[in-house]
Amino acid sequence: MSLITPSGRSKGPHKPFNRRSENNRIYANPLPIILSTPASSSASPLQKALGLLGISCTHILNPHCEGIFDAATRSVWVSNSGPNSKDVMILWQRGFFGKGDLSRSEPSWLSRQINAKKLAGKGLTSEEITAKRRAERKQFKLDRAKAMAAAAAEAEAAFSEGRIISPGYAPDGTRLIPSAATWKPSTSTAAEEEPPLTPEAVEDEEELLEDIEHLQLTLQEAFFLLWNLDCLTVLDSNTLEPLSLAQIWTAFQNAHDPLALSLSPSHPSLKPCRFDNPFLVNYVVYHHYRSLGWVVKNGIKFCVDYLLYKRGPVFNHAEFAIVVCPVYEDPADQANSPFELQNSSPFTWSWLSTINRVNSQVQKTLILTYVTIPTHSRFSNSDDTLSSPACFAHYSVREVVIKRFIPTRMRD
Amino acid sequence: MYSIGAARPIIPKRGEKDFEPAPGGGSGFQLHVLDRARSAMFAALQGSRNISSKSISYAIWQTDISRAYVTTARGIHFTAMGHSTTRSLPGDNEKSKQYKRLELLPEEALYLIERGAMLCWKQTQTDVSFIEDVQGAPMTVQQAFSEMIGKENLTLEKYQVFAYLRRLGYVVTRAEPPTPSYPIPAPRITKHIKRSIFQQISCLLWCTVSRVSRSWGAAFDWWHPIQLGGWSCHNITHAAVFKLLRFIPSGHSVILRPPPFTSDSATPVSPYKIFYNLYKPSTPFKKSAPPSPDFSIVVIDARTTTLPLLHELTGLFDVLPEIPPPLPRKRTIPPSQAQANSSKAAAVSNPQIQSLLHRLFPWLSPKLPDHQPLRPNPFAALKAGKKSVIIAAVDTGNISFFRFSQGTFNEWPML
Repeated sequence: MSLITPSGRSKGPHKPFNRRSENNRIYANPLPIILSTPASSSASPLQKALGLLGISCTHILNPHCEGIFDAATRSVWVSNSGPNSKDVMILWQRGFFGKGDLSRSEPSWLSRQINAKKLAGKGLTSEEITAKRRAERKQFKLDRAKAMAAAAAEAEAAFSEGRIISPGYAPDGTRLIPSAATWKPSTSTAAEEEPPLTPEAVEDEEELLEDIEHLQLTLQEAFFLLWNLDCLTVLDSNTLEPLSLAQIWTAFQNAHDPLALSLSPSHPSLKPCRFDNPFLVNYVVYHHYRSLGWVVKNGIKFCVDYLLYKRGPVFNHAEFAIVVCPVYEDPADQANSPFELQNSSPFTWSWLSTINRVNSQVQKTLILTYVTIPTHSRFSNSDDTLSSPACFAHYSVREVVIKRFIPTRMRD
Repeated sequence: MYSIGAARPIIPKRGEKDFEPAPGGGSGFQLHVLDRARSAMFAALQGSRNISSKSISYAIWQTDISRAYVTTARGIHFTAMGHSTTRSLPGDNEKSKQYKRLELLPEEALYLIERGAMLCWKQTQTDVSFIEDVQGAPMTVQQAFSEMIGKENLTLEKYQVFAYLRRLGYVVTRAEPPTPSYPIPAPRITKHIKRSIFQQISCLLWCTVSRVSRSWGAAFDWWHPIQLGGWSCHNITHAAVFKLLRFIPSGHSVILRPPPFTSDSATPVSPYKIFYNLYKPSTPFKKSAPPSPDFSIVVIDARTTTLPLLHELTGLFDVLPEIPPPLPRKRTIPPSQAQANSSKAAAVSNPQIQSLLHRLFPWLSPKLPDHQPLRPNPFAALKAGKKSVIIAAVDTGNISFFRFSQGTFNEWPML
């Protein structure tokens, strides 16, 4: 169950089983296109005849979403209002594409606002749950610090009298300092809760609120959708005219070029394209994992490039954390590159320990994904490999799995 | 106070850490606790370490060949350390007498000296044979460290890794034999060379196929990589769509182009070489015929070395054997099926030969029974990888071990 549906909330969806089955229903499609075999009653006679022969024609439902290219933020904006307001939910629910610009992931700003207005306190958005948990944790730490300070003061007082006691323990040996495992937040705030507003008042408020949030697609996500599945149209931010695939190809690469940023996306590129364009390198990785059925999301908060979810963020935690390591086939290409590709030179062991520590604490396995960047000199200038997505055939992706080896635990 | 008569120095428990210092510096109580802990540590250091003369071994360090040869071997250490070598008696020329003796590598000698299990003499030129029981000058621990580190590619980092793993009970041997007589595990059936031939053939095939398809033109339209709709894709599922999307070359079997040869600078020698073979304490180990190792270890200095390059990792993986995917979690199997499974396990008891035969003559291999073996958990298989190497990064005495394994994401799609 999505946590954000503001109205019509019954008690049922909060039970884990119901929530899971509802999640299975809402997020049933791993891609925005829907492949459905028409039911036999609605099928045409021809389809029925083919069905008898064992051939059933799959009906492909393409949602044809629309987004605006924003070069400055290197993203494609899908608006939450207007004629295409459904696009946002389609892209989120079918494959978890994009991120709400005012939300953590699912665009939930509007429902958060409505929830805040209602003050019902029952249906919390995921952001609100996180905020509540953090406040509780902070309270716990304050309580613990207080208890420790009190215990230290007691031990100090006893020491000045000439006695030595172990601080933090009662005479019978029980621990006085609260532990994170057993501490419970005090429930004194419950009494302060105000009675919820009458339903009519809420409805009025909902009318007034305008959804100002939009869905941000990264360039990799947008290109995956429009190139492979043809279910996204990207508009020029100035003219609001749809861009052609070739225009998008150059525009997305130019978005990483500081000189070309000021140009209109429909402009052709000034400089010859390069294999080490960050858009291309990241797209190769994004496409690789998407094509294997993973849901790929940004991993900046665990200091990695991508996180891999098995079915999606609402179902499981991410299993793998991906660090993209570009490898130049020819070091000369790296020397004269205008881009400073992250991790294109191997990093230090202390940095590996850092990211591995962060990721193993959240139960994720660290993966170094090496992408080879083709040698530029292999292709003559007249070769048009780079002017089309055909260049993707020359990259290659391979993974190295990192895990700490702890000899004391491997003795058997 | 520590008394000299006590049996062994014991490092005491030092209590809990105070997380937050009290305002205005440490309190009297805290200072008292700290002092107590510190004096306990000094007491532990002051304790004398005694060993019985009945359990001590003796060896003689020969600087010219960087070996310590054992004159008196006592204790269980020599079941996993030292190797016997044939040497000829010095002095005798031509028909010199050959004899066998037990020799220790520098790290092995140093480890035994540091433990207090062995006394080492240094071979001297002066003849001291007139003194009974003395075969040279006795070496102190410090002298042993300064003389043995640096010999036979032994760095301080490598010794620290060796000593740490030995103390935990692992058997640690050199991966590269320092002497021809040094026992090494029997060579694996090297799939390495054969695989590369296979790779070449498959690459050739692939190249021609792609060339032909390119000449056909519209075989793969890079502007429209997958075409949905039309009569070609009836009964298509999402899984099939994902399968169509897998067209970017991936996996470790894709040929990695070596960096172009540069003549201006000599290619630096990679520090990433497998240095130790590691055997778990539970693995039955025979010194004269060691089994194939449980782990392979590379030791590097974390202060001066960065992470391995992809080429270095590929070089390490190339010489390592493939490990089978982890077994699926055990479930209750009906008895008849269990029996079938066990008979199959007996059939594949020699997997190396089996897989080689399978590779060479695929039609020879018997048809598998109908029921499929349990599919391993994909997450476990992805995390284990296909081949793995352990890199010990030593940062001024702190060792952190990392396992680097070959990822197999392209073999375990989620959909």
